[in-house]
Amino acid sequence: MCGLAGIARREARGVTVETLDRMAAALRHRGPDGYGRYGGARVGLAHVRLSIIDVAGGAQPLSNEDGRLWVICNGEIYNHVELRQELEGRGHRFQTRSDTEVLVHGYEEWGVRMLERLHGQFAFAIHDRQGDTVFLARDRFGVRPLFYSEQRGDVLFASEVKALFASGEVRAAPDLQGLDEVFTFWAARPPRTVFAGVQSLEPGCFAVWRDGRLRVQRYYTLAYPEARAESPNAVAELDELLHASVAERLRADVPVGGYLSGGLDSSITCALAGALTPHRLRTFSVTFDDPQLDERTFQQLVARELRTDHAVQAIGPGDIAAAFPEVVRHTETPLVRTAPAPMYLLSRLVRKQGIKVVLTGEGSDELFLGYDLFKETAVRMFCLRQPQSRWRPRLFERLYPYLDARGRRGDFWQRSFLDAGSPADPLFSHLPRFQLTARIKDFYSGEMRVETRGFDALAELRATLPAEFPSWAPLHRAAYLEMVTLLSPYLLSSQGDRMAMAHAVEGRFPFLDHRLFEFAARLPTGSKLRGLREKDILRRWAAAVVPQPVAERPKQPYRAPDVPAFFAPELVGYARELLDKRAVQDSGIFDPAAVAGLLGRCRKGAALGFRENQAFVAILSTQLWYQHFIDSTAPWRGATAPEPDIAVAERASAQG
Amino acid sequence: MGLENVLARLRAYVQESFLYMRPGFAVGDDESLFDKGVIDSMGIVELIGFLESEFSVAVRDDDVSEQNLGSLTSIARYVMVRRGNGGGV
Repeated sequence: MCGLAGIARREARGVTVETLDRMAAALRHRGPDGYGRYGGARVGLAHVRLSIIDVAGGAQPLSNEDGRLWVICNGEIYNHVELRQELEGRGHRFQTRSDTEVLVHGYEEWGVRMLERLHGQFAFAIHDRQGDTVFLARDRFGVRPLFYSEQRGDVLFASEVKALFASGEVRAAPDLQGLDEVFTFWAARPPRTVFAGVQSLEPGCFAVWRDGRLRVQRYYTLAYPEARAESPNAVAELDELLHASVAERLRADVPVGGYLSGGLDSSITCALAGALTPHRLRTFSVTFDDPQLDERTFQQLVARELRTDHAVQAIGPGDIAAAFPEVVRHTETPLVRTAPAPMYLLSRLVRKQGIKVVLTGEGSDELFLGYDLFKETAVRMFCLRQPQSRWRPRLFERLYPYLDARGRRGDFWQRSFLDAGSPADPLFSHLPRFQLTARIKDFYSGEMRVETRGFDALAELRATLPAEFPSWAPLHRAAYLEMVTLLSPYLLSSQGDRMAMAHAVEGRFPFLDHRLFEFAARLPTGSKLRGLREKDILRRWAAAVVPQPVAERPKQPYRAPDVPAFFAPELVGYARELLDKRAVQDSGIFDPAAVAGLLGRCRKGAALGFRENQAFVAILSTQLWYQHFIDSTAPWRGATAPEPDIAVAERASAQG
Repeated sequence: MGLENVLARLRAYVQESFLYMRPGFAVGDDESLFDKGVIDSMGIVELIGFLESEFSVAVRDDDVSEQNLGSLTSIARYVMVRRGNGGGV
């Protein structure tokens, strides 16, 4: 896992070494083990490396036999061993053992159809010197990031947006519609980002740059061809797929560890990893002082039963607030929850303990309908089928058992779901969440209201749904929306890639194997959400794999303290400055008087609900984001980039 | 404490707690707080906490309904009843 950056120019005026060095320097945290660059007449490539496979020989950029194709890759091609065999059988000669090298030979052999053959999590760029093209691609589910910006026929691309800005050729300016999407969906929806003129390559897409034009195309589509009934072999098939997926994700020349939340999914990935590796598995967890958020009992139980070498990152008072500015610098977007912060601290611990790769349970809830949102959708549909029923709405009281019981009783609670929208609306499942999140916009400044008037994030989402969407079961529609609005742009990015790579730790996601996804998508929804029992088939299979209390444990969402994390008991210093009337006015997104009102409520300890907690985190993170990226007086901008300390390969001379 | 007094304190509370970020937004005493988007299901927990501390009334789970807590007037009436100043709920 690594960081990549590059520039392709319409005119043959080259890319300076200094530009590539600055872009690479901005990504150094992703790849502390090495740095390589390539400079040609039109194209420059830079790569910072975190060495995991072929530690000694896998420096990048890498080329094919005759030096026509050059590649830089962030991520892993898990089936590189099999692909290499096939390619060698077709006459290709490999220079390294690196998984990345299969990309140049594979591209030479199969062209863009190579993508269908890849198992893995990747974002890469291949430069064809002969054809003067650049081929960019991103994995099916968007595990690894890839951003680009088109500037008068030139295209700049990088693993993180900060590298685009470091080039000096892309100006940092807010995309107000992107921000409005964050305050609706929790993240901007690719290809849009929170920066004007900067796009995110959508998961499952590739792009070809030729003659100053970039054309984006989709190569992988999420589909839910649901079977009428569960096949009798389904559990055996699941067993095989999970074992195969974990086995592929253990391929590394360095030890692989595991995140252990105490829930079903990470217990599964750790149990399988423990069984498939000869050495004792290292596992890592976060714990919280607040017993409502803490899962240490289950974490300890699993670690004990699996006999792992377990380490804990305790999240104490002040830890989240202290880490938050760095968290936002890495996420490069405002946030509506602090939940990424503990993951940032956890990856720091992992790295300190000498581990570079961890398996995590991300993706299972999307594949096997684990989230409460899916139950909520099922209950809402059930109630709306019989609107007169008095007893059906009582089922709402069984949702969200970890929230204050009084809020979950009575007709207020029921109406908040039943009035949220009609089942005829394609976004039916997600409307309660989108509407709740959008309450952040109550705090918008007058200017922001004017600027976003006429922009409807929900209408845009509806307009981009695939043609087959209406034919899918309602719960599969919900699963699709969860994949595209939350999994890739928020969970895998802000909470995943960015928090792990901040400390050069690579996350691997066994549940996000595309064959496993396709298996899950074919299952009847009843095999996944049976009544109100989530992840049913996974639980049936897991009964023999993980400790019984974990196999039967209801889903506990991962949460971290929001407002209280920043008051100890006074508001932390940097937040006081950034939320000051003048500072809020300067950034212009939120209304200073409304923010002052919110702070007053927070100080009194009165801001208890989701509404104000998310507003506080959204406003503070927006201010931090603005200060880091937009405000031209911010200290990091214009700073001289350090020379790369490891120049692995300068394979061709860069043009001045 | 009379009904009008309770109502005045409720108005101030709703303004300070739920409408401080929306200056100029008005809600009538008899309008539905839910339909107007003033209080959502999460806000109810907060409102109950306020009723309990401010007016020393214990809000029973079964009382958490739109009939009792749906508008400023209905909340004021409910408080009066629970304080023993009115008829049955």
